Amino acid sequence: MTRFMIRRFLSLIPTVFLIITFAFIIVRSAPGGPFTSEKGRPPEIVENLKKHYDLDKPIFTQYLLYMGKIMKGNLGPSTRFKDFTVNEVIGTALPVSMLLGILALSLAVLSGVAAGIISALRQNSWVDYLAMSFAVVGISVPLFVIGPVLKLFLALKWKLLPTSGWFGGRYSWVVIIMPVLTLALPYLASIARLTRASVLEVLRADYIRTARSKGLSETVVILKHVLKGALLPVISFLGPAFAGIITGTVVVEQIFTIPGMGRPYIQAAINRDYGVILGDVIVFSLILVLMNFLVDIFYGFLDPRISYK
Amino acid sequence: MTEKKQPKRDSLTNEFNQTMKPVSLWTDAWRRLRKNKMAFAGLIIIGVFGLLSFTAPILPIHSYETQVTEHQNLRPSFRPAGQLMIETRTSYFKQVMEAEGRTELNDEEKAEISSMEQSVQTNPIHKQMYLLGTDSLGRDMLSRVLYGGRISIGIGLVGTFFSMLVGISLGSIAGYVGGRLDNLLMRFVDILYGLPYMLVVIIMMALFGKNIINLFIAIALISWLTLCRVVRGQIISLKNAEFVEAARSMGASTPRIIFRHLTPNTLGVIVVFSTLMVPQFIMNESFLSFLGLGISAPMASWGSLVAEGASVMDLYPWQLLVPAISMTVFLFAMNFLGDGLRDALDPQSKNKL
Repeated sequence: MTRFMIRRFLSLIPTVFLIITFAFIIVRSAPGGPFTSEKGRPPEIVENLKKHYDLDKPIFTQYLLYMGKIMKGNLGPSTRFKDFTVNEVIGTALPVSMLLGILALSLAVLSGVAAGIISALRQNSWVDYLAMSFAVVGISVPLFVIGPVLKLFLALKWKLLPTSGWFGGRYSWVVIIMPVLTLALPYLASIARLTRASVLEVLRADYIRTARSKGLSETVVILKHVLKGALLPVISFLGPAFAGIITGTVVVEQIFTIPGMGRPYIQAAINRDYGVILGDVIVFSLILVLMNFLVDIFYGFLDPRISYK
Repeated sequence: MTEKKQPKRDSLTNEFNQTMKPVSLWTDAWRRLRKNKMAFAGLIIIGVFGLLSFTAPILPIHSYETQVTEHQNLRPSFRPAGQLMIETRTSYFKQVMEAEGRTELNDEEKAEISSMEQSVQTNPIHKQMYLLGTDSLGRDMLSRVLYGGRISIGIGLVGTFFSMLVGISLGSIAGYVGGRLDNLLMRFVDILYGLPYMLVVIIMMALFGKNIINLFIAIALISWLTLCRVVRGQIISLKNAEFVEAARSMGASTPRIIFRHLTPNTLGVIVVFSTLMVPQFIMNESFLSFLGLGISAPMASWGSLVAEGASVMDLYPWQLLVPAISMTVFLFAMNFLGDGLRDALDPQSKNKL
C-alpha cells in the first residue's frame, strides 16, 4: 500500500510537468503579447519592457527560464497588475476561492449522500419522488442560470440575503450562502442520484442479508455495512466533481462579485498576462491532480477488493 | 409441399410454423422508449425546439437584430407594442410624480405622451406584438431566443458529431490493436483528463479571439476523451468474440473488422453517451458565452442571453427568465431522453446515474 502510494505520487510529477508545458505552448502560440494593446507607446520602450520580462529571448530559453523559476516556487512578475508578483495575486485570491469550493463540496457531499440514502430507504415514497425531482432540476439547470435566478428571488424580490460581495464589507457571513448554494447544487443533485442508485443495489447484496440475519440493528446495518459499499461510486465521482467545482467558482465569483481567482483569471487571459495565466493554470491543476490522488488512495482504503501490486 | 410459401429470408418460423418478425435491437428499444412517458415527452419537446429554431428564418417573427429604439424593455404581452409603450412610460411618469410629490403630469411629460400617441396612430411599426417582450435595445425576445437556440443546439450537435468521430475511431483502434499504441493513447487521454478543461478553453477563447470556429474547436478539443475510453472498453470486451474470430478467419482486414464488425456492436452505448453529450456541449458553450467569451453580438446564444438578462434582472426580469426557462426546458428534455434511451437500450442498467 505505501509503495503504491509513493509510486502513484511520483507519477503525478510528469503529469503536472506536461500540463504546464501544454499551457505554456497554448499561451505562447497565440498571436499578440502583453504589450501589443497599449497604443502610443514607442517601440523602443516596448523593446525594453520585453527585455525586462525576458520576452525578447528565444521561446525555448524562456520556457527553461520559466521552469527554473517555478522549481523555486516563484511564479514570476505580473505584466498587468503593476507592482504585484503572480505569487501575490494568487496568494490573496486563492484562499477566497478555496473557502468557497470547500464549503460547496462539503455541502454537496453531506446533503447529497443523506438525501440519497433517505430516498433509497423510502423508495417510491413522496420523499423519494420529491428529492429525485429536485435532483433532476439540479442536474439540468446550469450554474449561471441558478445563480442569477436565486439572486433575483432571494435577494432582489424577497430581500432575504445580500446580492453580492464578500466578508469584510457591509455584510457578515450571510454573503456566502447564495454562492455556496449555487455552486453546490449541481453536485449535490448528482451525488444524491448516485447514492440512491448504489444504496438500492447494495441493499440487495448478500452481505447485507448476512448482516441482518446476524441480528444487527437496522441503524448499524445501514451506517456501517450499506454506507461503506454504497459510497464507492460517490468517491469516484469526486474527481470530476473537483474539476467542476474549480471551474464553477470562476462563474459563481463572476455572478456574485467575489474577489477570488475567477476574475483575475479571465482578465489575465484577455490581457495576455502570461505570468498570471500560467500561474493560475499551475495552481488549478496542482489542486486537481492532488485531489484525484487523494480520491484514489481513499478508494483503496474503502474497497477491500482492490489490491495494489 | 412445394407450393407452400417459402418464408422470407429474414424472418423466422416458430414451432407452430408461424412466421415471426425478428425484433431488432432498435425496434425493441423504440418500443420501450415509447412506453417511457418522460422520455417520450422529452423527445417531443426536443422535436418542437429543433423544428422552431431551425425554421426560425421562415417563421413569421421579427428579425433577431432589428432594433426599435422606442420599444425598449417592453414586457411580454399579446397587445400591440404601441399601447404597451405608452403604458410603460405613463406608469414611469406616475412614479416620478409620486417621488416629486406632484399630482399632475408636467407639460414636458404630457407632450411626450401625446407625441407618442400620435406616432402610434401613424407608424405601423407600433402594431407589432412582442409575445415574450423586448430587450434593452428593443429587439424581440422571442426571435432572439429562437435564434439563440439555433446556435446553442447547432453547437451541441456539431460538437457531439465531431467528438463521436474522433472518440469512436481512436477508441476502436486503441481497443482492437492494443499493445504499445493503446498504452500511448491512454496515457495521453489520462493527461488531458488532468487538465482543468473549461479553464483551458477560457484561455484559448481569450487568446485566439472569439468566433464560432474557434468556439467549436475549443469546446470539441477534449470532449472526445470519455467516449474514447468507453468505446475502447467495449471493443476490448468484444474483440475475442466468435464473430470476430470468424471474420478474421475469412481474411477480413483489420480496418474492416474494426469498423464493420466491432464498432456497430458498440452503437447502443454510443447513442446513449451522445444524447448526454449534447446538453453538456450546450452548457459549455453557454458557460463561455456567459463569461463573454463565446458568441458575440448581434448574434446570440442561450448563454449570452442569460448573461444579458442577468445584468438587468431587477428591472426587467423576463429578459433573464425567458432564455433561462427555454434553456432549462430543453436541457431537461435532453436529460430525460438520455435516461430513457439508456433504459431502452440496456434494460439492465436501470436507475444508474
